[in-house]
Amino acid sequence: MEALSVDIGRLKSGEVNLGTSIMAVQFKDGVIIGADSRTTTGAYIANRVTDKLTYVHDRIYCCRSGSAADTQAVADIVHYYLQMYKQHMGREPSVHTAASLFQNICYQNKDALSAGIIVAGWDKEDGPSVYNIPLGGGIFRQPWAIGGSGSTYVYGYCDATYQEGWGKDETIEFVKNTLSLAMARDGSSGGVIRMCVITEGGVERLFVPGDRLPKFWQGQEVIGKTFKAAADTEMIVEG
Amino acid sequence: MAAAATVYNPVGFDFSNQIRNNFLADRGIPLPKATSTGTTIVGCLFKDGIVLGADTRATEGEIVADKNCEKIHYITESIRCCGAGTAADTEFTTAMISSNMELHALSTGRKPRVVTAMTMLKQYLFRYQGHVGAALVLGGVDATGPHLFTIHPHGSTDKLPYVTMGSGSLAAMAVFEAQWKPSMTREEALDLVNAAISAGIFNDLGSGSNVDACVITATKTDMLRNFVKPNERVTKERTYGFRRGTTAFTKEEIRNLVVHEEIIGVRDDAMDVDGS
Amino acid sequence: MSIMEYNGGSVVAMVGKGCVAIASDLRLGNQALGISSNFQKIFPITDHIYLGLPGLATDVTTLKEQFRYRVNMYTIKEEREIEPEAFAHLVSSTLYERRFGPFFIEPVMAGLTKKPSGEYKPFIAASDLIGCLNFAKDFVVAGTASSKLFGVAEGLWEPGLEPEDLFETISQTLLNAVDRDAYSGWGAVVHVM
Repeated sequence: MEALSVDIGRLKSGEVNLGTSIMAVQFKDGVIIGADSRTTTGAYIANRVTDKLTYVHDRIYCCRSGSAADTQAVADIVHYYLQMYKQHMGREPSVHTAASLFQNICYQNKDALSAGIIVAGWDKEDGPSVYNIPLGGGIFRQPWAIGGSGSTYVYGYCDATYQEGWGKDETIEFVKNTLSLAMARDGSSGGVIRMCVITEGGVERLFVPGDRLPKFWQGQEVIGKTFKAAADTEMIVEG
Repeated sequence: MAAAATVYNPVGFDFSNQIRNNFLADRGIPLPKATSTGTTIVGCLFKDGIVLGADTRATEGEIVADKNCEKIHYITESIRCCGAGTAADTEFTTAMISSNMELHALSTGRKPRVVTAMTMLKQYLFRYQGHVGAALVLGGVDATGPHLFTIHPHGSTDKLPYVTMGSGSLAAMAVFEAQWKPSMTREEALDLVNAAISAGIFNDLGSGSNVDACVITATKTDMLRNFVKPNERVTKERTYGFRRGTTAFTKEEIRNLVVHEEIIGVRDDAMDVDGS
Repeated sequence: MSIMEYNGGSVVAMVGKGCVAIASDLRLGNQALGISSNFQKIFPITDHIYLGLPGLATDVTTLKEQFRYRVNMYTIKEEREIEPEAFAHLVSSTLYERRFGPFFIEPVMAGLTKKPSGEYKPFIAASDLIGCLNFAKDFVVAGTASSKLFGVAEGLWEPGLEPEDLFETISQTLLNAVDRDAYSGWGAVVHVM
């Protein structure tokens, strides 16, 4: 991983940052993508309900982390390319095509961009797939991918928890729990959890409000109160 | 002066002074301060449209350069844009996008959309990688309804029901977070925007003077210049009028701009060309 | 040291009743060393527009010539004299063109606009070094003594001054401000329109 030693970790001064927790996991019928909702400029939260799950084609979304300006610009360009692809070729682009477009832009402009992107979706060729495109502009197909500043706290949890062959509901729980843990530890992540279920049939959006996040150990024992399992977390399914 | 020797000026910025200015900067001579609008600007969604708000102070360092400047810029009749940051950048960027929106409206024959202005602005600002220091609140109503955006100098955008920007954004956002609610009336929204801008005016040193507001609905745009003036100066009780002749001078020149022309006839028969 | 202090100099413009005034000091310095006590910083653009250019002396000369050229081109193309408002925008866009490599000048303009009724309306404006215009209704200042000028003018200026009174007000404003500025002074010139 020599490429990562290039000085690409910095943001331009005063730049809007997506100090993020993002995630994508594939399962049998599709993919679940998820993200927190915090956008920061230094210590100030510029947007507490950001939508970091960005549409690039009908069954292909991306999760953005890094500079807000850079990732929006890159996603807009790829969105344009995929529209042109559809019109020229007369068929839906594959997730790999979309991911390759992201990878090309991120690699060729690696000195100017700070963008860590996860591309996920469903296509006829491969079914569900998840591609991770980290800072230097590499491309890696993975069954699950996490990204952003919050991801460093939850690699161990994901490694220990993930199992192949999950269904939709189990995968949603996995994404929700992972992001919740990441948001709790990472100061640059927080707010609400937004998720998308992308299957052949369509895209379903899920939303977990900030006061309904899954709770883990809250430290009640320390002050002598009985611990109550907070399993009654709810989700709201958006239209 | 080589560039000035042609009638046709190339478009875009002129970087020809940069070698000299960089040399100066290397010798430890800093660039003078440009006027910045250390500002409070806000936008807020309500039942029938958008209310935009701004304070009216422009600063140069710690000096108030303009006590009543206009920060709500015209984009189209039903789209307006508040600017914070480097004053010249907000002024010229919004003016250019306004021109391009007018041309776009003319070539498509449709009323242009807020997203179009937003996309033009973000792509322009992204191209200059934050060097064009314009932080904007863009709001308007189009065929698809009311829209409100913030645009940061590096080119990132956010779409929210209530937004604030500039140095007073924290004070103004505190008011919004405490009091904003969905589908407010025009009066409620105007009061809230006034409260948010006032919070900036009184709690942020970079903001001050008056409250400008702009109400945009599907049918009408009301630009409420100096909507509230909470910092009006009282007239002086007495004046410092100097007696004429106070200032001594060594020389006085009076240029008369009225041209006097006297026509003197040279010879009565000068035009006699009959020849007979 | 700021580059504005390299040669020094200050300009102020004020609105009166049916009149305007623009005044400057006459110093040209090389930092603390005085070089000339007769350096022109205010230039006539048309019969009804005067332009003050405080800042780096080399840019005073360059910009004065550039504005002369551009105003001449405007006059030829439009077949009319430029109006103060239009000239202010010409100054503004000329400076903004060099946004990323500016001239070290903060222009001050004063002029009279002819109204359809035939009477003249006073006009003043100032710009920062990258072309941000400031249309003030009372007075504008620029140069090394600008902070002092702001203070004095804020105290001395009043609305509705007749030309003779405006002369006294602007003169006293400039003289007293410049007396407390090491980089400005060495004589002054006042133009009343």
